[in-house]
Amino acid sequence: MSEPLVTLSDVSIRRAGRNSPILDNFSLTLAAGETVVLLGETRSGADALARALSGVPSASEAIAGSIRIGNRSSLAGDIAPYKAARIAYWPAPEHALAPNASALAQLVRVVARKLSFSQAEARAEFAASLERLRSRVTIQDLARPAALVSPDVLSWGLLACAVAQSPELLIADHPAGNVAPSVAGALVAACLEAQKRQHFALVCVTPRVDVTRRIDARTIILRSGRMIEEGSIAQLAGEHAHTYTRALFHTQLSPDAAPGRPVGRGEPVLQVFNLLTKGKKADRRDALTFALRRGASLALVGDEGSGRRALMRVLLGFERPAEGRIVFDSVDVGILSSTMLSRLRRRMAVIAGEDGALDPRLTVHDTVEEPLRARLHLTRELLNNYRDAALKRVGLAELDGSRLVAQLGPFDKRRLQVARAIVGAPLLVILDEPWRGLDALARNAMRQLLVDFRKAEGPAFLVVTNDFAVASALAEEALMFDDGKIVERGLLADLVKNPKEAATQRLVTAAKGGLS
Amino acid sequence: MARFGLEAALRLILGLIGAVFLATAIASLPPYSAGGFWQSFGSHLVSVAHLDFGTSRVSGSPAAAELLAHLPATLLLLGFGAVIALVIGIPAGLLAGFSRAAPVAGPLLLVLEAFPLFVIGIAMIWAATVLYWPLDTAPAGTAIPGDVLSLPFARAIALPAILVGLGGAGAIVTRLRQIADTLAYAPYREGLRRLGLPNWEIGLHYLLPEIAAGVLANLGEVMLALMGAVIVAEWIFQWPGAAAFVIKSVALSDWSVAAIILAVFAGLTLVADFIGALVSRALVMADHP
Amino acid sequence: MTATVALTTTRPRWQTGVRVAGLAGLGVIALTVALSDMIARAPADRVNVRQVSLPPSAAFPFGTDIAGRDVLSETLHGLAVTSEQAVIAALTTLIVGALGGFLAARLRFRLGYGVRWTAGIFGAVTPLFLAILFIAVTNRGLAPLAAGVAAAPLAFARTFDRASGLASSRHAEFARATGIGALTLLRRDLVYEMRRSLLAIVGRGLASGTIILSTVSFFGFGALPPHRDLGLMIAGAFTTARASGNFSMWWTALFPALALALVILMARLAAGLEDGTRP
Repeated sequence: MSEPLVTLSDVSIRRAGRNSPILDNFSLTLAAGETVVLLGETRSGADALARALSGVPSASEAIAGSIRIGNRSSLAGDIAPYKAARIAYWPAPEHALAPNASALAQLVRVVARKLSFSQAEARAEFAASLERLRSRVTIQDLARPAALVSPDVLSWGLLACAVAQSPELLIADHPAGNVAPSVAGALVAACLEAQKRQHFALVCVTPRVDVTRRIDARTIILRSGRMIEEGSIAQLAGEHAHTYTRALFHTQLSPDAAPGRPVGRGEPVLQVFNLLTKGKKADRRDALTFALRRGASLALVGDEGSGRRALMRVLLGFERPAEGRIVFDSVDVGILSSTMLSRLRRRMAVIAGEDGALDPRLTVHDTVEEPLRARLHLTRELLNNYRDAALKRVGLAELDGSRLVAQLGPFDKRRLQVARAIVGAPLLVILDEPWRGLDALARNAMRQLLVDFRKAEGPAFLVVTNDFAVASALAEEALMFDDGKIVERGLLADLVKNPKEAATQRLVTAAKGGLS
Repeated sequence: MARFGLEAALRLILGLIGAVFLATAIASLPPYSAGGFWQSFGSHLVSVAHLDFGTSRVSGSPAAAELLAHLPATLLLLGFGAVIALVIGIPAGLLAGFSRAAPVAGPLLLVLEAFPLFVIGIAMIWAATVLYWPLDTAPAGTAIPGDVLSLPFARAIALPAILVGLGGAGAIVTRLRQIADTLAYAPYREGLRRLGLPNWEIGLHYLLPEIAAGVLANLGEVMLALMGAVIVAEWIFQWPGAAAFVIKSVALSDWSVAAIILAVFAGLTLVADFIGALVSRALVMADHP
Repeated sequence: MTATVALTTTRPRWQTGVRVAGLAGLGVIALTVALSDMIARAPADRVNVRQVSLPPSAAFPFGTDIAGRDVLSETLHGLAVTSEQAVIAALTTLIVGALGGFLAARLRFRLGYGVRWTAGIFGAVTPLFLAILFIAVTNRGLAPLAAGVAAAPLAFARTFDRASGLASSRHAEFARATGIGALTLLRRDLVYEMRRSLLAIVGRGLASGTIILSTVSFFGFGALPPHRDLGLMIAGAFTTARASGNFSMWWTALFPALALALVILMARLAAGLEDGTRP
């Protein structure tokens, strides 16, 4: 066995003001060219460890123990060894770069700093690195303010930046962020290929089981600051693994689990006729036509830019269609006044996988009560009863109702959206990437919540997603989008078993990623 | 950037048109030569279209001539005051917003800012008297003393310019504190450090442009603060500028003169706003390498 | 294009302490104003030719002025006048400026932008000028209203821009998509924005109102005796000193100036040191 490149001995990380450590007595050795994955959810300690390894822990975190990189030791967070070794850092695309400055400029500057190159040399090196990754991302895609670059493109840029530094050790800290499984798979494959070329050690910290499976290397499971177990993917995904480990791995949804038959019945709740969304060239062959029956669930599946979100924006009224008709609850929405349309929209709910979906200024109680107060004249007692019942259904009954939405974590915010939808008694619920940004177990809980909601209240679901596994968990039928048009449609089980179109095949493969 | 520039230019033009309307409305205030307010407004608007800005009720001179007689002194005071505002305001703002001393510097600066400018002006005159600093103010209505580069000019403008500078510095400090409050929790600072950039490089290439852009985006408000300070400084130090002159014009209901001076001041603020918006946008959009 | 930054939801403790100190200070000032007639040893503008120009002493802690008025009593009365006027000015700024901005941002057919443009024109003129202009066109008795209206355009612009941003925010879009009406969204803004930043708006309004009112009084456009405010007192002291060429009676200006600074300082501390952009 070769000399260890990284040796962590009894590393503990504490945050000021907390009694228990974030990470407790963690040890690890890693040789050059080796790979280890640290799989852990929020508060598992994996995040803090990634920050410590990068040499820049959070200001409030104190590190104890020994971190040895190369032949230089560090005690209690001394950063000297980090300067000696070539360590590259590959973070999640969110908040990695200054939002108003050019992404390209920032990444080139990092390469220039780490390699002691001039800016021109660094730019050439970065461009070459990006090309070697064989993505479709170009330098021009990154030459915009970072806030305007999509997370997918930014992820490629960050990987190219890390690989361009010819590191001895690459720390991938939530490297895929919340990007689609297909993109995450491509990123991981490119990283592993670069590792083969450059022979660097790879430490990957991630909460994503699909990323862990794709890397398929030594994996350490972390929970609440402690190591639960360690092993290969085959061992950890097997029946003899720790209960927590098994629960984690079973949260990775299989697209094969899609129910076979549609359950919708009765009148359609939503009908779309010959719809052309704005921005498309008016090729009428691409016009969208579909229907969604009461109680049914339909998924709109496709990559970024496929057109599924443009359709969603039109259905939500954010944009007007270029052509076509939308009939909701047997009413043509195109002929309604804005007041009447607003009334009709009360029978619609939205559950979106983004932080800004709820008003951060509102309290928990206000968020759930608002649809009731706005539409009905209920007594205070009735209002409280409906509100409390909805919060209980989603598991937020114990939460202080006066807490602001801004103070909640992603999972609580997501559940709050479901509670708000429950009180509205909607006919149609539009779900836009409903578990983006959630940990593995939280996704599982969310899935169950939504399935129970649909079973109990019977709304139709329209699921907008780039992940076939999400579609399979929540819908029976799917429309496959590519380049602004529907390329394939049918039962999810059939699409998964026999995908005909290339776009469908790509997404099905990505969703299965690593699953046997 | 081009689109942003055009939008900003359109806002400027609309603002200047509005300023002209406002000034015309002021010039149309009673006493009316004939008819009511609207008739007066209409006839003044027609006159303005012909570049006739009316006549002073007090001196009988054209309002434009009164403006040209007094404006240069104000512009000089504004210019020197703006320089002092930058010299004082930027370090003080950075101290109050970004340094570890912010918890002390912030409240301390608030204490200093709590004194209205006219109080500070009086205190400066008192201190000048005690310290035998010559208060060379020109008699009202005459030109500024001496050559711009001469000692008499420097002595005359020193105290009023400092007062104007203090007024402008207050606005700069307030803006820098607001920016500090936003940037303090910006996650990209740690993100860039983990990627490998040192603090000074992050500060120089990413924080400073944001800070500068933030201040420049509020250049209009800084200009307003400077204008307010110029009024007080001209009044207290009897500086023969347009700001004090307009106060007297308002007191004597010399509306034509008041209107044209007000329109110029509003125009200066709008132009400052426009320039600030453009430069701040350019700073933020600047592409390095 | 703005940065999306993660905002923390809690203020650092020292900033909360600063606000509490400001509120406590305003409370003390309010109490002093309420009891000013009882605490003052002489009624407002009581002239006494036998105690002219006396420096501070045990008998007259703040000295007397050129007309023999007790500067302590005059300062207390002046503080009462200034504070009452500043409250009127602050409320006017709040209603015309802040609330007006919120309501205008919700007007249909982009009418709000027309109102914003108008406010922008007035906002391009320094509030001091505007106040003097309004007083000159109306009368001195409306000086507090004039000061409030003069500061309103800037408050209007701030709240209009914030409300426009909120109206086009993601959560507002989702709310409208699910049938939440304009009135409910307006209620959200009014309740939550006001709740969040009412203290900051009122504090800033008080501070700016006090400064504008005292400055217009200093220029001679404000209160007249016997209702002298602090600005007029300072103007009187300054005029006397300038006319005589003698600045030795420093107490006639210093104590009113300190009282003025105290009101402004406490109002600004209560408003907080940050912009109030956090929930």
